This record gives sequence, C-alpha cells and structure tokens, in this order.
Amino acid sequence: MNPRFFWSPLAAILGVPDRVAEIRDRSLPNVPLVTHEGRKVQFYDDLVKGRVVAINFMYTRCTGVCLPSTTHIAQAQKDLDERIAKQVTFLSISLDGEKDTPERLNEFAKRHGAGPRWTFLTGKDSDIELLRRKLGAYERDPKVDADRSQHAALVIMGNEPEGRWQAISALVHPTRIRQAIERTVLPPSKWATGLAVVNEVPFERSPASFKLVQPVDLSRIPALTP
Amino acid sequence: MFGLKPAWVRASRSGDLWRSPATAPFVTELLPGRGLPSISQPVAPFSTLVDPGDCLNVDGSRAFHVSPPREVPPNTEFHLVHVRPVMHRFHPALPPNPMWGYNGEIPGPTFVARDGTPQLVRFVNDLPELDPVQIGLPILAVHRHGGFQAPQDDGYPLDTFCSGQSRDYFFPNTHAGRLSQNCHSTNWYHDHAIDITAQNVYRGLCGFYLHYNDLDTGNEMDPAPALGLPSGQYDVGLVLQDRQFDANGFSVYDSFDHNGFLGDKFLVNGLIQPFMQVARRKYRFRLLNGSNARFYDLTLSNGRPFVVIGTDSCLLEKPIQVSNFRIGPGERVEVIIDFSGTALGERIHLVNRWEQNNGRKPDALVSPGTPLLQFRVNRDARDFSRIPDVLVPVTQGPRELLPQVQIQRTFKFGRSNGGWVINGEFFDENRIQADPRRGTPEIWHFESRGGWTHPVHLHLCDMFILARDGKRPPLIERGRKDMVNVGASYGDASVLVKFDYEFSEGPGRYAFHCHTTEHEDHRMMGQFEVI
Repeated sequence: MNPRFFWSPLAAILGVPDRVAEIRDRSLPNVPLVTHEGRKVQFYDDLVKGRVVAINFMYTRCTGVCLPSTTHIAQAQKDLDERIAKQVTFLSISLDGEKDTPERLNEFAKRHGAGPRWTFLTGKDSDIELLRRKLGAYERDPKVDADRSQHAALVIMGNEPEGRWQAISALVHPTRIRQAIERTVLPPSKWATGLAVVNEVPFERSPASFKLVQPVDLSRIPALTP
Repeated sequence: MFGLKPAWVRASRSGDLWRSPATAPFVTELLPGRGLPSISQPVAPFSTLVDPGDCLNVDGSRAFHVSPPREVPPNTEFHLVHVRPVMHRFHPALPPNPMWGYNGEIPGPTFVARDGTPQLVRFVNDLPELDPVQIGLPILAVHRHGGFQAPQDDGYPLDTFCSGQSRDYFFPNTHAGRLSQNCHSTNWYHDHAIDITAQNVYRGLCGFYLHYNDLDTGNEMDPAPALGLPSGQYDVGLVLQDRQFDANGFSVYDSFDHNGFLGDKFLVNGLIQPFMQVARRKYRFRLLNGSNARFYDLTLSNGRPFVVIGTDSCLLEKPIQVSNFRIGPGERVEVIIDFSGTALGERIHLVNRWEQNNGRKPDALVSPGTPLLQFRVNRDARDFSRIPDVLVPVTQGPRELLPQVQIQRTFKFGRSNGGWVINGEFFDENRIQADPRRGTPEIWHFESRGGWTHPVHLHLCDMFILARDGKRPPLIERGRKDMVNVGASYGDASVLVKFDYEFSEGPGRYAFHCHTTEHEDHRMMGQFEVI
C-alpha cells in the first residue's frame, strides 16, 4: 500500500505540513525532458511521482568519472533482487543537452548494459541546470562548478511517496550502492545493517591511508618548550 | 550554462528556501524541566539483553559488534532511556513541533557518572515506524562522544536498533589503561546511525554525559585537593544549535543540501534565544556545539573574559583567560563566568560573532553579532567555588610520548566529484584506515584543501594537537581534545594519538569522521582497529 494515503492525514493530525508536497515543490521541478527512446516527459509527473528513484547526472562525451559511475550503477541494478529491482526507476540525466540527442543516449545506454526501468534523459540546458541545482548536484566554487564531470558521480536516491531522500557517491563499491538503494525502497525496520551486510564487500586496508612514515621525521613538529 | 554564479549560490541554501518567522529574543527562561536538562536517575538492575542482530532479523544475521553475555561489576548503575516523540516548543511564537527526544526530553537527560562507577544504559526505541515529518529515520545507534567504551558500546554506525527494539550500552567509567590519560569531564551522547546521523541529531537526539572524580568532585564546598569548581545549580550544560523553520514555524530540513545544513534561528538547550537568571557569583558553563554544520565565535557583551577550564572531554592543565573563543560542531568548551562584579538587574549576552553562510566554512567575524543567551543578574548568592591554578596535570603529554613515536599517518580531507573523501576514499563498512597498536603513540596529520573546514572527531581517543601548519597551536588547543577543526582559517593539524583502553573483547572498529554531520552521512568517515 502506498504509505502516502495515510501520510497526509497523519500529518494533518499532528498539525505539521505535508513534507512530500513540500519536497516536490521545493526540489523536484516538473521540467520537460526527452528520453533516450525519444519520448517527451515531465520530470516530476512522469518519472518521479509515486516512485523510488536513483538519479545521476552524466554526459556521453565524458571520459572521466562518468564511466565508473555508470558501470557501478549498472552493476548495482543487475545485482538487485528482482522484487526490489522492479520497484526502482533509474534516471540518468545528461549535462550536455546540446550534444546528447536521444540517439546518442540510446547508444550509450546499450553500451553500458543499462537494464529495464533505466531511462536516459536530455533536455534544454536551462531546464537541466535548474534540475541539477534543485537536486543539490552543484559546487560552491564557480570554477569547480563549471567542470561538468564534478557533478557526474553522485547518485541521488529518493522514495518519493515517503519523502525520504539521500545521496551517495557512485564511486563507492557497487554493492554499497545496491545496499543504499535497498534501504531507499525498504522501511527502516526492514533494513539490514549487520555483519553480513558489512562483509558483503571483502575486507580491505585502505591502500592510501596505510602509507606510513617511518622512521618518524619530527621536523614538522614545533618545539615543545612551554 | 556553466560558470554562471547566481546570487543565491553565495547565500545560504536554506535561507533561500525558507525564512523563519520573527521570534522575540529572551522571552523564554531556562528553567529545570524546560531548557535545563533533568538528571538521569538509576533504576533497579535489570537483566541485560542480547543486542539486536540487526533490524531485519529475518536472515539470522547478527549486528557487526555484539556484546557477549554481560557480566557487569556489582557496583554498576542501571539507567533506562526511552527514545520517543515529543511535541516541543522552541519559542512561544511558534507552534509545537513534533520532535524526538531521549525520554522525550530536549535536550536529553544528563547522565552524571562518578569515576569507578560503571553505568549500563538501555536505550529503547519507542519511535513510530511511520513518521510524516520526514526528518530523521527511526533507526538508532547511540554514541557517547568522547567516552571510552568497548566497540559494541560505542554506537558504531552499523550497530543499529529499530522501532520496538532496544540496545544496552555499558560505560566502564574507569581510567584508560590506568594512565590517568582520561580526566573526563564533559562527554555528550547523540545518535550515530549510518547515513542518517545529521537528521536524527537535528530531530532532537542529543544530551550531556558528565563525569566527576576525586579531583573534580562536583561539590564546591570540598576542600583541596578537590578543585572546588562551581557546582550544583551553578554548573550548567548549554548546547548551542541552529535551526530552520518554515513560514508557519515548523522545523524544516533540506536533504538535498549536501554541504551542511544551517538554520537562521539560534537555540540554547532547545529554546530560541532564551534568558537565564543568574546570581552575582561564579558559574561553570559546559558549552557544547551540537549544530550540524555551524561554527561559533563566542564573546560576552559586557567585555568580561571567560576563564576556560576544559576543552572537549577533558579539563585543562591550567585555566586560560580569553575574551572570546571558537567552537566547532561536536566541540565542547568549559568556561567559568564570574558575575560577581556585575550590578543587580544587569543583562549580559552570550554573543556569536562568527557569520556563516554555508556548510563549507565560517566566514567573517561581524560586530555586534547575534546574542544567543541573555544572563539576567537578579540576586546574590554565596560562592564557595574556586578557580585553582592547576586543574588536571598532564602526566602523559607530548613531552613524555613524542620520543616513543614510531609511526605517522596522513589523512587528507577533501572534496571531489560531489562528495567528501578522506585520502580520496569514501567510508566503506569493511575498509579500515589505520591499525594503531594499543598504548603506542602515533602522529596523525590532518589536512583539508579547497577552503572547507572539517571538524574532525576521533573515537576512543584524547589527542594532543602538536602543530597548526607547522606552528604551535593556540593556547586553547593545547589541552586534550577529541575534536580538531581542520582547514580554512584553522589550518592543517598534526596530532598525537594514543589508544589506551583495554577491552577484554578484543579488537573492534572505531570511527573517525568529519562532525559536520551532513559530510559524515556522505561518508566522510574512516575507521580504525586497535591491535
């Protein structure tokens, strides 16, 4: 059952505003987009409303992080249990509306093994810019913000009817993306967080952090006289 | 399309979305039961529970850290806390807000521990599974911040318990490795559940955990060698937080603001700009920054100094007099304010002068700043308290420990591709960043680039800050700390760490992370195993 049916009355009883509606108005603009199949859609009405979504930004000319990001998301989608998978809509939004035609996106989707319920989207630059900012995929530093690839490694996950939204980097292990998507679908009382979940990714010592300095050079430590 | 910088990018994101209703300052008084937290009272001993496996419990899997059957020492105090919803009034001009509180209190009840008296606290999750407010999720892990406790009692982010479940936490309250390394005074406790810490704490889940011992006895009448610090009603915990409301006065949160959430209202102990009646004598204030992302630079409106006696969990070796001090998310600063020279009827403000417009870093110092709390001097009272020249001597400090250091590690806190990383990596539940040897000091270097300030928190450790950008740290940073702010105006930091605690259970994992809780939830977190 869609929890939204009793969300609003519950909110009314408590006298608090309807957060689901508020999030829609604040962060989920209903901009027009075109799918990789050439279908014209409205972002909120046709793609997000009433669904669990995993959204990322990408562009086909991207040679850096878009590739591992897309590969990780594709792996996560493939690994999802079918019962969960059929509840999740994957949305990849192009940051390069001019170059990324539906045909190019279609080709990109095929090349990366995107499964069913995964829609690639393009649209007007101004609409996508609005979407990107509303969904929080922006940088405070305008120089960094101008680099498209900086926005291409975030997976924004939402359970729209329940008003639960969070984001995770697509550069984490694909299993962690899959687990985060499972948590977006399931109510917290059904979340798995235990030992088995931890150990699903093999144990590792961080290669970057285990570069120890030995013997110790104390020249960076100022004198310890009082 | 790119490279444009709309004006609102510079302003606070939340400020762009919402404007809180006007609230007159200093209309609500901090009183016991409203603003001044209650003291948690021991209950009759109960038999301890096996920790919940995890919230699923259908596949037979267990939590990452579980306690073996507990055999607690006979002098253990038992405490019981129900985490439950509460309708809370931040200000008389705003409607009651549906919040979550430990025992339904905001802030939660204060725990008072005596050195050598362990406590076993059962936290029961009485939060509803369904919650229309959508700030936080009813999945909990309780971390005693600054405390030394076994891995299964540390509130490890994956050791969670759900609605209808409970989890027992054992706090030994003994000296670490018998080295008098911990001289704990002000810990606090708050939620630490994976990916949802920011919202759960914002929803109300935090409180104080205080320690007293043979030196800091909690009674100013006690003769030396007791310290004689202001006690009883003159020993007050104050938690500073910011909060955003919508036009109707309901608390809001933006889960699309990944930079760190700020609000335009300032709370002290859950009340917007309250006032407190004070006597003409010395007070001990335990200031805690319980905000998600906001830094404060505090000063007194009458120009009088603070006498700083403690930083984070520990009392200092010697008191320091300052006219102002900075306090970042998760930090504590203990001060003595002396109202004895003031006039009856005088009103003195605790003022924040540090402006901050986004979660990246605090900006400029402004004048006159924002008053957070008004002290109203209304009476005389006898004052037996003292400020001794020496508080808690440091017997295992940098001078003693540095010659033993064999290992240095570097942790670079950075931002890339829309996320926050430590040494280029996001938190992974099964990756460790360090394996320090118990009782063996190491130097850890913390760096931050890109103009972000990250308040870094280490679990299971009181560290010493050795250097700031290669120079000696300011006086106020030379005591034992469990937080170190890194980056922007704070600079990089080199710290001395030593993990002393002996736990019979063997190795477990402890977290270290950015305490801007949105960054933490975005996995700016690492973990270490003490071997």
